[in-house]
Amino acid sequence: MRGAGQSVTLRWVVGPQGPSRASVEASGLPDPQQLKVFAGEQRETAMAGSVRQIGKHTVFEPRFPLLPGTTYYAVCGTVSVRFRLPSPAPSVPTRVVQVYPRASTLPLNLLKFYVHFSAPMSRGDSYQHIRLLRADGTPVDLPFLELAEELWSPEQTRLTLLFDPGRIKRGVKPLEDIGGALEMGKHFTLELATTWQDSHGKPLAAPFRKRFLVTEADRTPIEPSRWRIIPPQIGTREPLVVHFNEPLDHALAQRLLTVEKISGTVALEDSERRWRFTPQKHWQRRRYFLVASPLLEDLAGNNIGKAFDVDTSRPSQTFRSAPVHLPFSPR
Amino acid sequence: MNRFMIGATLTLMVASSAHAGKATAGMRVGAPSFRSMGSLTFGPEGVLFIADTKAASIIAVSTDDTKPGKAATALKIAGLEKKIAGLLGAEPAQILVEDMAVNPVSGNVYLSVSRGRGPEATPALVRVKGESEVELVALEKVHFSELALPAAPAESTAGRSNPRLESITDLAYQDGRLLVAGLSNEEFAATLRSIPFPFKDGVNPTSVEIYHGAHGRFETRAPIRTFVPFMIGKEAHVLAAYTCTPLVQFPLSAIKPGAKIQGKTIAELGNRNRPLDIISYQKDGHVNLLMANSARGVMKIVTESIEKAESITAPVPDKKGVGYETLADWTGIDQLDKLNNKTAVVLRRDEGGALTLETRPLP
Repeated sequence: MRGAGQSVTLRWVVGPQGPSRASVEASGLPDPQQLKVFAGEQRETAMAGSVRQIGKHTVFEPRFPLLPGTTYYAVCGTVSVRFRLPSPAPSVPTRVVQVYPRASTLPLNLLKFYVHFSAPMSRGDSYQHIRLLRADGTPVDLPFLELAEELWSPEQTRLTLLFDPGRIKRGVKPLEDIGGALEMGKHFTLELATTWQDSHGKPLAAPFRKRFLVTEADRTPIEPSRWRIIPPQIGTREPLVVHFNEPLDHALAQRLLTVEKISGTVALEDSERRWRFTPQKHWQRRRYFLVASPLLEDLAGNNIGKAFDVDTSRPSQTFRSAPVHLPFSPR
Repeated sequence: MNRFMIGATLTLMVASSAHAGKATAGMRVGAPSFRSMGSLTFGPEGVLFIADTKAASIIAVSTDDTKPGKAATALKIAGLEKKIAGLLGAEPAQILVEDMAVNPVSGNVYLSVSRGRGPEATPALVRVKGESEVELVALEKVHFSELALPAAPAESTAGRSNPRLESITDLAYQDGRLLVAGLSNEEFAATLRSIPFPFKDGVNPTSVEIYHGAHGRFETRAPIRTFVPFMIGKEAHVLAAYTCTPLVQFPLSAIKPGAKIQGKTIAELGNRNRPLDIISYQKDGHVNLLMANSARGVMKIVTESIEKAESITAPVPDKKGVGYETLADWTGIDQLDKLNNKTAVVLRRDEGGALTLETRPLP
């Protein structure tokens, strides 16, 4: 990695911090300011970095670590020396692991999807890669709420995709004019394109399609009294199983349904219709309480004791409800 | 997105020269650490407020950019992401421009940028140099102070979304106070925080409750997307825009720590639209607002119509309230700011997806 022209010599130096922190060492420069480093083939904007004089050498240290996949050029007049980081080992392409809700029939007033990925994704243009298709393959116009923040988990492995609230709530002009995003009794497909890139700029391994049938709108609050609790056996760590009468929101049901003062692990099964809690310690001969937070949601955003789009809205009226305690005794 | 208030700008500039160094008094010298750089706004004496949304904190940095009159007044940078990528040593596809703010003292344009689109992205602060170049703003040795937002939402995947992402959705500086819109960890999560500057400990967020006309219920959990301080008569107000797109007005005097206030919804500007940015400016004796939108272009609103507007308290069909004019040739505008009293600077995305920074006469 040397280049020479007249008396100028340029060299990329990899130090103890590794190739991503490589610097440029130059000698014979008429003026240190003539040393420029460029990312890619453009020669308009030089990279930011610091220039130091060490003895006869001018050393340029890039301000930011060098990235794999980009070619860098140290340039002085006609002398140019390139540097490219070793490509990272080929990794398994990122894929969509799961889309929640998993059910294949979903209510007309479905509130959201969760899209889970196998690795961190890139942000900034996510909505461009998502389409909601009718049975004839035509896309629904703007079905989702497109937020600049994009509702990613901190690791950028889960995106929350909210339907545009204007197309769910009753008494709203767009819902009356152009209808909801979904239509009762019809099939739709949520399609995620491979053009969606992971955090390394690599496309998804495969497109993801979730086909579902739209059933009638759910405007009924969650009714814990209609859940079926299967008590576990005393003296075992057998899971406590709760059958819901409808699928619940995947993310919220994992966190907002608990056994009072008992720690354990939660699994959601049967397309979020069944909740399974495995305690850390053996069940004892006593009464326990299953505690349901009022913030639990079903697929349409209805809570316990409150439907999603009920008008709770006289100024300053606030809606509150307490957690619901459901007793059970191991058998 | 500098939201320096119309009418107060001159006074503040005079005040700042009379109390030179007051804004930077008590600041530390060093390298502030950032997990992210989002919303930007300028305070007095070249102090730039940078929202670190991931960390739920605000960092006030003294830019030392306090001399008026040197900045170019006609800017044009086509392929802005390409230029910034060159500066930061990355591919253009790895660059996200998060926000833009003009220093009202110098007229220099600052941009917060992400280098990378993944969770490990590095934030950077970039400044426009001359008419068409960009330079990195060094933050290794600056005067700065930091404020961790009280009652910040947790960084979590436990709920339906990670609320930390919306901990700070917009900033504005107004008469010694930094106004911060976003979410808190409280039941009524949408807040507008009013924080005295220089920063002090123990500031409680102000929770703002609004009536959202089109949806017939309070939308207290929906954060303000963009807002601007402006005057109605002699009283300072805040005009805030929400998704789907009500414009709501609060008197600034009502924004006190611990208070819950009900804003006046003065307009519904139509559904399926996302407000992106809003600025105020003075022209021909009128105070005007410009608002950029995702689906409805750039709207010009004359504030006299806001003063006369009736509050909207019942569900309304699509559009209602104060009138506005949609500017036909202002298309693809993502960001707006005021370069000076006659000129706006905008970020415009063209059909091919490339971002251009350019100046335009204020309409």
